[in-house]
Amino acid sequence: MDQFKDREVVQAVLIADNNHFENFRPFADETSTALLPLVNVPVIDYALESLNRCGVEEVFVFSRLFINDLRQHIEKQIKSSCSWSLNMKVKIIGGEGCRCYGDALRDLDAKGLLRGHFILLQAETVTNANLIAILEEHKKNSKRDKGTAMTVVFKESAARLPTGNEVVIAMDLDNNRLHYHKRVDQYLKEKNFDIPMEIFINNSQISIHHNIVDPQIAICSPLALPLFSDNFDFGTRDDFIRGLLINEEILDSRIYVSFLSNNQYASTIGNWLTYQTISLDVINRWSYPLVPDMGICCLYQNYVFTRNNIYKSQKAKVSRKVTLKENVVIHEGSSVENGSEITNSVIGRNCKIGENCQLKNAFLMDGVTVGDNCRFEFCVVGADAVIESKCQLMEGFVVKPKEVVKTGSTLTGNEIYLDDEGLTVPVMKFLPNAFDDSDYNSSSDEEESIINGSPIPDDANIFLSEVIDSLNRGFQEKLKPDNLILEINSSRYAYNMSLKEVNFNVIKALFNLNVIQEADEKVLSAVNEVFNFFGIVVRNYIKTEESMEDCLAAIEECCLEHDILRSRVLKIIHYLYDKEYVTEEAILNWHNSMEKDSDIKNSLKQLVEWLNQSSEEESDDE
Amino acid sequence: MINREFQAVILAAGRGSRLPEVASQTPKCLLPVGPYPLLWYPLNLLQKHSIQDAIVVVLDSQKNEIVKALEKTGIMNKMKLDITAIPADEDFGTADSLRFIHEKIKTDFLVISCDVVTNVSLFPVINKFREHNAAMATLLFPGKFDTGVTVPGPKSKEKPERDLIGIHTDSRRLLFLASTSDFEEVMSVNGHLLRKYGKFTIFSRLVDSHIYILKKWVIDLLKEKDNMSTLKGEFLPYLIKKQMTKHVGSPDNQKGSVLNAKLSDEVFEFCKVPAHEKQIIEASFFNDSRIKEPYNNDVIRCYAIESPKDTVGVRVNTTASYFAINSKINSIWSKLFTGENIPSLISPSATVNSTQIKEIAVFDSAKLSEKTSLTGSVFGAHCEIKPKNIITNSIIMGHATIEEGCKIENCIIGYKAVVGRKCVLKNCLIGPNYQVEEESDIEKVYLTNADGFMEIE
Repeated sequence: MDQFKDREVVQAVLIADNNHFENFRPFADETSTALLPLVNVPVIDYALESLNRCGVEEVFVFSRLFINDLRQHIEKQIKSSCSWSLNMKVKIIGGEGCRCYGDALRDLDAKGLLRGHFILLQAETVTNANLIAILEEHKKNSKRDKGTAMTVVFKESAARLPTGNEVVIAMDLDNNRLHYHKRVDQYLKEKNFDIPMEIFINNSQISIHHNIVDPQIAICSPLALPLFSDNFDFGTRDDFIRGLLINEEILDSRIYVSFLSNNQYASTIGNWLTYQTISLDVINRWSYPLVPDMGICCLYQNYVFTRNNIYKSQKAKVSRKVTLKENVVIHEGSSVENGSEITNSVIGRNCKIGENCQLKNAFLMDGVTVGDNCRFEFCVVGADAVIESKCQLMEGFVVKPKEVVKTGSTLTGNEIYLDDEGLTVPVMKFLPNAFDDSDYNSSSDEEESIINGSPIPDDANIFLSEVIDSLNRGFQEKLKPDNLILEINSSRYAYNMSLKEVNFNVIKALFNLNVIQEADEKVLSAVNEVFNFFGIVVRNYIKTEESMEDCLAAIEECCLEHDILRSRVLKIIHYLYDKEYVTEEAILNWHNSMEKDSDIKNSLKQLVEWLNQSSEEESDDE
Repeated sequence: MINREFQAVILAAGRGSRLPEVASQTPKCLLPVGPYPLLWYPLNLLQKHSIQDAIVVVLDSQKNEIVKALEKTGIMNKMKLDITAIPADEDFGTADSLRFIHEKIKTDFLVISCDVVTNVSLFPVINKFREHNAAMATLLFPGKFDTGVTVPGPKSKEKPERDLIGIHTDSRRLLFLASTSDFEEVMSVNGHLLRKYGKFTIFSRLVDSHIYILKKWVIDLLKEKDNMSTLKGEFLPYLIKKQMTKHVGSPDNQKGSVLNAKLSDEVFEFCKVPAHEKQIIEASFFNDSRIKEPYNNDVIRCYAIESPKDTVGVRVNTTASYFAINSKINSIWSKLFTGENIPSLISPSATVNSTQIKEIAVFDSAKLSEKTSLTGSVFGAHCEIKPKNIITNSIIMGHATIEEGCKIENCIIGYKAVVGRKCVLKNCLIGPNYQVEEESDIEKVYLTNADGFMEIE
């Protein structure tokens, strides 16, 4: 026995509290996000099973919220002797006293349970990576550099929509040391990333990565826990990294980076959008061997796996005239009636789906009942919910467990869950394969002006380009105009624009939108479309006589830059007059103020004459 | 006349503003490096790559002197040089110089600065240029050439300026070119650049070689951009940034729409992609990215190649690098030549009576007297070393005179300077025409009568 005594036990810590639990409301209000079913298996089991497969011997599951639910789940799994319980000791620790990630680690430090280097993992992480290899690498590294506090694991990915897991890092290519770390903003596109100069001066090769996701996997040194204890302001892992990077000399500790190879999968669920992508990744077997037909952690087969990634339980009843296109999981006891069509969806245990339903990217938990003729796209339905017939659930709508949705309802997700800052929680939606390049246009043009040196990018120009960016995005993604106004106003204060400048630039931005700029001959219908969509925005700024003149001045400038607009200026102004964006007086004033014999003035002649006439008639009437 | 693939342009009109201590009297391109003037080295490099003719851009005030000096080196017999003068009284930058001679450029061309001393092979960079039909390809030298060399003169506190060079890690695309002095505390990395290319590496220790291979259309663009006066400082960063600009007039909607023509960037007026080239790219399996179209659909492409680690490559544009190249010339001399014919470091027309010489380079008509001990030094044309001198690790410029009994260590003695009898000089910089008094014993100083000149005027 003695020979085994000194051997270091491989330990891991699983953090079961999600920093972003509010993204999972209302689910997160009732139980731990770690117990959220991912392809019909609680997500914590994925993490435990991957640790087990790596040869981890002891796991501490740390939880504050719903610790009893977790304990029950773990005990149940151990009792049913699931695969990870055989070689691995799992202990649940936690307490009401800690409010965040950092508190959890401080608590662990106080308890003194961890003896050496350990793996630190978020419970919502799904991975098939060989973490032991990274642990060994980390140990080697810490022998060389005594100040090694942490090795952070990243995974390269194709640029897709920002989901909150993306980070930008700068690291030294010679020794993989991390020098800069910033989470990519989910909502706004960063113009620049400000990286301290000294990093570049002190190191010969700095590699900057943008195309990576952070799956919340890290290897910690024994050094890391006391650092958390000493610095009570380290709330999250990001705080820890930032704190260490800023104070590396004082704290004398360093962070290293490890990349997963292309054949290893790792990702973490932080919101419904990532829930959707990871579900489909699991169904598409990227996370092999953690795939549905392997049972994840139970030791028997749940599903029969057939072509096009169809996983169907033998105890499920699927009628003959049901089309299962691809990437479908149907758990035991569920039934699907004739005429329904299902793609990219997961159906839990004992669900009942009626006739002629269409399910695309729908995630149904256990015991859901769906009536006939329903249409689901990009939505989540909680356990035991009842959806009556002829319902339409779209665009990221989330149905609470046990909720009843009445017949004929049409519900979309976009407007429902707003967090404190007025921003929408990322919801499920169609994901393009790669970033659409269209947004490079405006911004690279704006960069042009910097290089050309001719118009120096003063605040007004930057403000204009930001407004154009916001409006373009708003138009493409059909955002609420109110939010756009909020965005424009915040830019306004950032660049200290006067009201006049704001009015002018907003209108100018409208005419600089891609739809109008690329419309060619159909420019009028594009203008109509834009003003219909942004009507609320325009009316928010263009209220007074003065603002109308700003508006017209902006149009004048746009026309000078744009031939097709110039040729249609008459109709555009008439349109604005018709829709009562501008008054007759404003137009006449503007017309008078223009230089004589300018193109625009001439082309407006007709309108002005007509306006004069009509006003005369009016006064005649009186 | 054969149509050549590349024309070569050597920019030799620099004024040596970063080595004022040594280049105030001599044209920068004629500073002695080993047994040849500086300009000989890029010419030798071209000749090694079988490039037989080159345009050499010089200042008109220095043209005669340069022609004379080149004739002496014998390189004129091997190459056809078109020595073109630019007006000296206009303060021309490198881009201005190229603009001045743009009519002479009819094909893709290679621009090389007169201060490059290297043994690198240009073929990898030329091949990269051909392979990707690039707009620009350049070569990067490993830095740190002047480490381990004590530069004479007083200690300078100036921090050396460094290039920041951003290269896409997989494809070697050059995405970013700046200098450390362009930024203060932080460097703003463009968000679009990162989003578009995913990852890139920023090198701070590599040195831009000032060897550029450029497409023909680039000179047309340069001609248009007459507000840019320097190549590396302004024009190349501009060209590199233009890579990211999206080419709006894509083939599908090129039906003469006025709108697109307006939106499309003026740059694309210059680099039109022929239809067959587009077809080739479409038909080819080649792709440098895993998820996007080849080259990200970029029309302008710039590449940078790092030269191998053991390359000798240095730009002689500071006093430090000038001194370094001369003190190392012996060890690298044989690497600068291919084949057996390595010329001697000592010019045949020099008079060398000294018996104790080791690792020295001597220009024509230099006179090294007997009873001297000369080690690791360079002696310029017509300089005279009187007997009983000990000279180590120093540069004695043309027409300088060292009187008897001096001990000179790690110094640069300027053009036509005179060092009096029995002087002991260590780590000193002696300016042109300066007369060091007899029996001086000085260390780490810079002696010049540049101020004196001002008074005479």
